[in-house]
Amino acid sequence: MAEQGASHGIARTSRVRSEEQRQKDLERIDKYRELEDQVRQHAAEGGFSRELFALTSKLLRLNPEYYTVWNVRRRCLISGLFSKQSHGSSCSKESWNTSRCATTTTSSVESSSCSSTEIQPSPASPTAGKSGTTADEGDKEAAAKQDVELIKSELLFTIPLLLESPKCYWIWSYRLWVLNQAIERLQAPAARRIWEEELGLASKMLSKDRRNFHAWGYRRHVVARLESSDLGGGSMVEAEFEYTERMFRTDLSNFSALHNRSQLIPRLLDERGATAAQRKAFLDKELNMIRDALNVGPEDQSLWYYHRFLVLNLVTTVGRPTITPAFTREDRVSYLTREIEEVKDLLEDYEDIKLIYEALVDYTLYLCQLEERKPIGEEREDLVTWVKKLEELDPMRNGRWADLERDQELTELLPGGQ
Amino acid sequence: MTETFAQLPEELKLATSAHVKYIQSLDTRKDEYDYWLTEHLRLNGLYWGLTALHLLGHPEALPRAETIDFVLSCQHENGGFGAAPGHDAHMLSTVSAVQILATVDAFDELEARGKGKAQVGKYIAGLQNRQTGTFAGDEWGEEDTRFLYGAFNALSLLGLLHLVDVDKAVDHVAACANFDGGYGVSPGAESHSGQIFTCVAALTIAGRQDLIDKERLGRWLSERQVAAGGLNGRPEKKEDVCYSWWVLSSLEMIGKTHWIDRDKLISFILSSQDTEKGGISDRPGDMVDVWHTVFGVAGLSLLNYPGLEPVDEVYCMPKSTTARILGR
Repeated sequence: MAEQGASHGIARTSRVRSEEQRQKDLERIDKYRELEDQVRQHAAEGGFSRELFALTSKLLRLNPEYYTVWNVRRRCLISGLFSKQSHGSSCSKESWNTSRCATTTTSSVESSSCSSTEIQPSPASPTAGKSGTTADEGDKEAAAKQDVELIKSELLFTIPLLLESPKCYWIWSYRLWVLNQAIERLQAPAARRIWEEELGLASKMLSKDRRNFHAWGYRRHVVARLESSDLGGGSMVEAEFEYTERMFRTDLSNFSALHNRSQLIPRLLDERGATAAQRKAFLDKELNMIRDALNVGPEDQSLWYYHRFLVLNLVTTVGRPTITPAFTREDRVSYLTREIEEVKDLLEDYEDIKLIYEALVDYTLYLCQLEERKPIGEEREDLVTWVKKLEELDPMRNGRWADLERDQELTELLPGGQ
Repeated sequence: MTETFAQLPEELKLATSAHVKYIQSLDTRKDEYDYWLTEHLRLNGLYWGLTALHLLGHPEALPRAETIDFVLSCQHENGGFGAAPGHDAHMLSTVSAVQILATVDAFDELEARGKGKAQVGKYIAGLQNRQTGTFAGDEWGEEDTRFLYGAFNALSLLGLLHLVDVDKAVDHVAACANFDGGYGVSPGAESHSGQIFTCVAALTIAGRQDLIDKERLGRWLSERQVAAGGLNGRPEKKEDVCYSWWVLSSLEMIGKTHWIDRDKLISFILSSQDTEKGGISDRPGDMVDVWHTVFGVAGLSLLNYPGLEPVDEVYCMPKSTTARILGR
């Protein structure tokens, strides 16, 4: 649940340090703790000053996992550095500028206990006033400019930290909080300009690690905000769909991209106002794309999961938006039969890839389900052969294959069966 | 199983006493820079270490009174706990605090010397997003199914689950389900083994396993086992000991641990031990840490490795504890 404390992929070395190394460590510790003490002391005194803000920069560069210090930094921004004219939610305005947080604290423990359970987590409240300023126009403009600069410099501050610790939850969430401040404090066009830059960051992070789920989640979040009325946006579904294709073409094994693609499809088709014929053509294109990839990489789970996603569109018609809702049962049966044949063709080139047999078994059972019947004749013999092949190629999951045989009554034809 | 393991080479036996010593040594490493860099995980670390010790059959290896004192020293007026004194309250450390106090049977101390159960419950309940049902980690609003599970875990141990909107939370978890049977961080996010554990466990605590597509989820989870015997967190990723817990406990909750090769997984976990100095790492030959140690040991316990105390697959705590508190 808090993976950041764990070592991943660091080679085990002898844990014996030389005295010299130990002394060096002690010096580093002293420096670190001194900095930490300064931050705590300033925070306890209640002044969320520029000085404290600068100290948090230093400390966070040493340790970006220190969530309490990110919080101190937020408090500095809210209760001092951002312009006072801003609107903000109840959390950012009332609580932090009044007695509860900034001024009551006497010890470091209390200083961090200023949160109250009454305060709801505040995803930037989109309706929180864009009005209610008291300053005249000139001041207002200067203040807005100051806030823009501050927000931009905060975003800049986190970039080297993210590049160094791309899986650190706290940095990502701080960055989002800063972006939400833009929505709360700036006029929509100015906030939008700031948010628009974020897609570039998400792409950059994903080009460094194509599977980073923080970056994918961030991307989805940013897109959703850019599309929302808060930022005066429109749909970005076409561009995002295209992005998943680019990512997939770069690395056929990128399931994160394919997952995102699967999420975008229902909306994409709706927004295109796609006719039944266009939906059918769309499905054909997707199936072709993934089949081409399977022809060169049939051992790749990512491809099969996406293929299965497309195939399930033919089978399950309840509960989920489908690609081709107008398909008749005959259409579905004919598509599924064709896919099974296509997968069988793979066996000509690849005899010993278990994922192929798994797909054959599952799709055949889907077909039976669609036709509301049990496997019959040759089809049943095929199933028995394929399951046997699965047991041979993938003995680690024999418990699963045994359950499959039992549930589908495929045992009696096997040697040693009834 | 006992007989089979008696014939194994040393590196494939559980180095119990080395692990106990390793965990005991964790709080004595104040001359190491990392000790200070990881203070934001102190309470979580105590939960990981304590749980590992209980499962290893050495509950006495950490002094009970000091453990309780430390936990209570992390509590804030609002009921929440920070990772260490001076650290802000957060869901993750609050859940660890409740789990530790439950394990050492000290809820009475929380009443007598701490802010009391009710205040802890109020803090956690205050983090629920009443519109969507999910939970934030703290007042700053980061939302994740990890926090939802944490809330259910701690509140149910405290007997205070009624403080939150369980149905809304359940709806949220259901919205995180994907076509592959798995669950992500939030609706629309890719299936991930850690997140699957949190969602399946939350649904189990809520008594709503009926919402899980067990067949499809079981397949996905069983495909996480790779040739080396270990489990990965997502398709086409490397295996890692911590998934011995996230994947295996999820399989246990849906009754399908027999869908993987349990003996191979046992060997993988055991070969990731440092048999000499104690501790378990993500993969054989890597640096150990307490996080991989507890999830490795908990995985072995679920796999019925001889000599270990049984672990509760939903709470990742000794079964004796959840039996005492929840009658599970």
